[in-house]
Amino acid sequence: MISANEAAARPSVLHIFKVYYPDLFGGTLSVIRDICAGLKDQFNAAILVCSNAGGQKQIVVDDVKVERVHSFGDVLSLPAAPTYPWRLWRRIAEHDLLALHAPFPLADLVFAFGLGRNRPLVVHWHADIVTHAGLRRFIEPLMRRTLKRAAAIIVSDPVLVEQTPLLREFADKCHAVPFGIDVAKYDWPALKLERVNERGRLVLACGRLVPYKGFDVLVRAAVRRNFEVWIVGEGREHERLEALIAELGVQDRVRLLGSVPEVERVKLMRIADVFVMPSVTNAETFGLVQLEAMAAGRPIVNTALDTGVPHVARDGIEAITVPPGDAQRLGDAIESLINDPARRARMGQAARQRAVTTYSTTAFKEGVETVYRKVVAEQATAARVASVPAPASRPLETGLVSAIQIAAALAWSDMRHRYVRSLLGPFWMSLQMAIMVAVLGSVIGHFSNTSAGSRLPMLALSLTAWTFLNGVVLDATTALQNSASLIKDRALPPVVFLLQCSFRQALFALHNACVPLVLWLVLAPADPRTVIEALPGFALFMLCTLALSLVLGALATRFRDIKPIIESTLTLAFLSSPIIWTPEMIDRGSTVMRFNPLTHLFAIWRDPLATGHIPMASLGYVLACMAALAVASVVTLRHLRKAAFWI
Amino acid sequence: MVSISLQNACLDYPLYGAYDFSLKRRLIGHLIREPGEMRVIRAIDNVSLEAVSGARIGLAGPNGSGKSTLLRLIAGVFPASSGKVAISGNIVPLLGLNAGANLDFVAADNISLLLRISGRKPTQKIIDEIWAFTELEGRMQRMPLRMFSSGMLMRVLFATATAFPADILLLDEWLSVVDENFSAKAEQRLLKLVETAAIVIIASHDQPLLRRTCNTIINLDRGRIASTTTLDAAGHSMELQEKRA
Repeated sequence: MISANEAAARPSVLHIFKVYYPDLFGGTLSVIRDICAGLKDQFNAAILVCSNAGGQKQIVVDDVKVERVHSFGDVLSLPAAPTYPWRLWRRIAEHDLLALHAPFPLADLVFAFGLGRNRPLVVHWHADIVTHAGLRRFIEPLMRRTLKRAAAIIVSDPVLVEQTPLLREFADKCHAVPFGIDVAKYDWPALKLERVNERGRLVLACGRLVPYKGFDVLVRAAVRRNFEVWIVGEGREHERLEALIAELGVQDRVRLLGSVPEVERVKLMRIADVFVMPSVTNAETFGLVQLEAMAAGRPIVNTALDTGVPHVARDGIEAITVPPGDAQRLGDAIESLINDPARRARMGQAARQRAVTTYSTTAFKEGVETVYRKVVAEQATAARVASVPAPASRPLETGLVSAIQIAAALAWSDMRHRYVRSLLGPFWMSLQMAIMVAVLGSVIGHFSNTSAGSRLPMLALSLTAWTFLNGVVLDATTALQNSASLIKDRALPPVVFLLQCSFRQALFALHNACVPLVLWLVLAPADPRTVIEALPGFALFMLCTLALSLVLGALATRFRDIKPIIESTLTLAFLSSPIIWTPEMIDRGSTVMRFNPLTHLFAIWRDPLATGHIPMASLGYVLACMAALAVASVVTLRHLRKAAFWI
Repeated sequence: MVSISLQNACLDYPLYGAYDFSLKRRLIGHLIREPGEMRVIRAIDNVSLEAVSGARIGLAGPNGSGKSTLLRLIAGVFPASSGKVAISGNIVPLLGLNAGANLDFVAADNISLLLRISGRKPTQKIIDEIWAFTELEGRMQRMPLRMFSSGMLMRVLFATATAFPADILLLDEWLSVVDENFSAKAEQRLLKLVETAAIVIIASHDQPLLRRTCNTIINLDRGRIASTTTLDAAGHSMELQEKRA
């Protein structure tokens, strides 16, 4: 709006992920939270996620609007939220930028279908799907389509681009923006923590209790050692780990602490002697939690994954890196650190130094902001280029899509205003149709000996279809002249108004269709199979009508004597085609009947309804007509550019 | 990048109705070799024009000199008969306020339909904002436009047409609203619309207005560019500029 333009509106970003606070805590979520909070002065953030917790659909978390779509629980680590794609599609238009936090196949589904193409998409690549290798085969094409459509991909470490085959395909779009950490949060004064941990042998690990985190390896590594292991986090592996701890007999030294508030976690990080990240698969792309431990000045033991993990804390400097899944080596590494307090202190200091210099929140914020801004700016330029109204340079498809949208809006408005100032209100037209069917039905009844009851539904349906065809063609002949001001003053493409005729009459026909429908239900329940067989023929009928309206509409505007010719031809066609009477009533061999295209145009859907099989001869005839009409339509569409001269 | 580029654009306006083009005439005409009548008029003759962001172009010239036709050519209403027309940017042609209004529909429906035509999604909030600008009573939103006085109608149509900014704004005559109280407010809004647009082209007879709002004035004569005047920021030193040139 012009008036609202003054307060420089911030572009809005929709973050798309599967889950958010308060349902879960974790690295990805804290990244999303940090982005929202860090960019709150530059972008309006909103979050769309799934939730199986029930409760409110719209909540506010840290000043950010979070919309939660109901999910029925998790299937293969994915939320089963059937309405999510729909909701996402509805929300896309309200935002200037979409930030998809991958992997999230439910959202890929939406993008794979090409929905929301008019909004720029940034993919935050958090992890690959590693856990369900079988599932991955089906999802990879979807992810590829999403990445292809994305304007930019943000990864936490450049090594991910090299190591992930899917990302390598889109390497030119990838931007490496390492996560940032607010080290100030970990600046706790060295409080009297010794009381809690006086033995100097506390090993800490944090993360959701899911298989790829490798906590079972850590538990195994604790066997026959002297250190204590505290694991913070909750998840579906809890019981299995509990059983494993009991089985290995290490209950006295290994504890599962469950979920812990963030403040407490920070404290734990401060008192721990060694931080371990035993993750076993490449699903761990960065290990934000090890960065937190580094900010707290802890030495790290991590695993040699093909991801950013060993780059964040480097072997021999801030960490000891061991092969993933190797309990023996993991245990040795921890033990060597536990036994060497000086080395622990050295590594801890190096870790803190690296967290401060390489992984600052400002760098992260600015990195993301740069990508977001670039993408929004590119889109704005692209949108302008795409919406060029000059017919010569505008791609036909986008022009056609917007033409169809406008035509639909106009037709819908016609429909809504059809009953303005009417006496009987909605359905007065349907009432008229009912009366016409009743009168004609009783009159025709005298011509033939079949029972009126079986004939009435077909009569009503034929009349509805004829009213549609007649209405579309008649409307089309005057449509362009009636909309002269919109064409000349608002520069709308003329084809809009020809399409509008078809759309409007289709809506009217749907109203009228209640008459044949009721008759059918009451008099002769139709077999659903015959209805399905009639559908292709019916679609062809609609298509022919549309093409006819384009061609005749343009012709009648260009040559003014065409309109009366069309009018009289339509009357003649109504009488000479089997609409109110059926072919059986008269001699089928009549030449006029055989060559009248309308006979066949009605036969291709009426015959399947009445007899159950499609008349192939009629179908061929109609297809030939359709081909001719299609050619004529294309020629017409080309000439329609000049329609402004004709009106 | 918003730009308009016309290179030697010509527009031949066919004169349907001015001559007999029926089949009969064509056949007989061929037989008796009757001299051809004038069938087209060259409405735009070899016009070249380059405009980038910041251009404020005024089109001046007597009636029938091709001002409106040139605007329509740029808007894509008419295809050029020869030459090149390349436009990038979203064009909002405000060539007539009445286009698309249906007097039988209630005001709110008209507003939402007009917004849809210009490719915007009408929400109640936008309609309310537009209505607030018209300064009409809220309940009149639900009244058909035929009940409105011509001044009130102009308010509604003006407020709707000028609600959204444009990259390229084409104005055929300064949109005037008769109502005295409203006219100052409307002028302000229009000026703001002109300010926010990247390129503005105004066709007008009102030379002082063109000098106030434009930085280039193109004088048209029978479809040709007769002269181009560049004004400086102040806009009143046209003579000086001409001397220098």
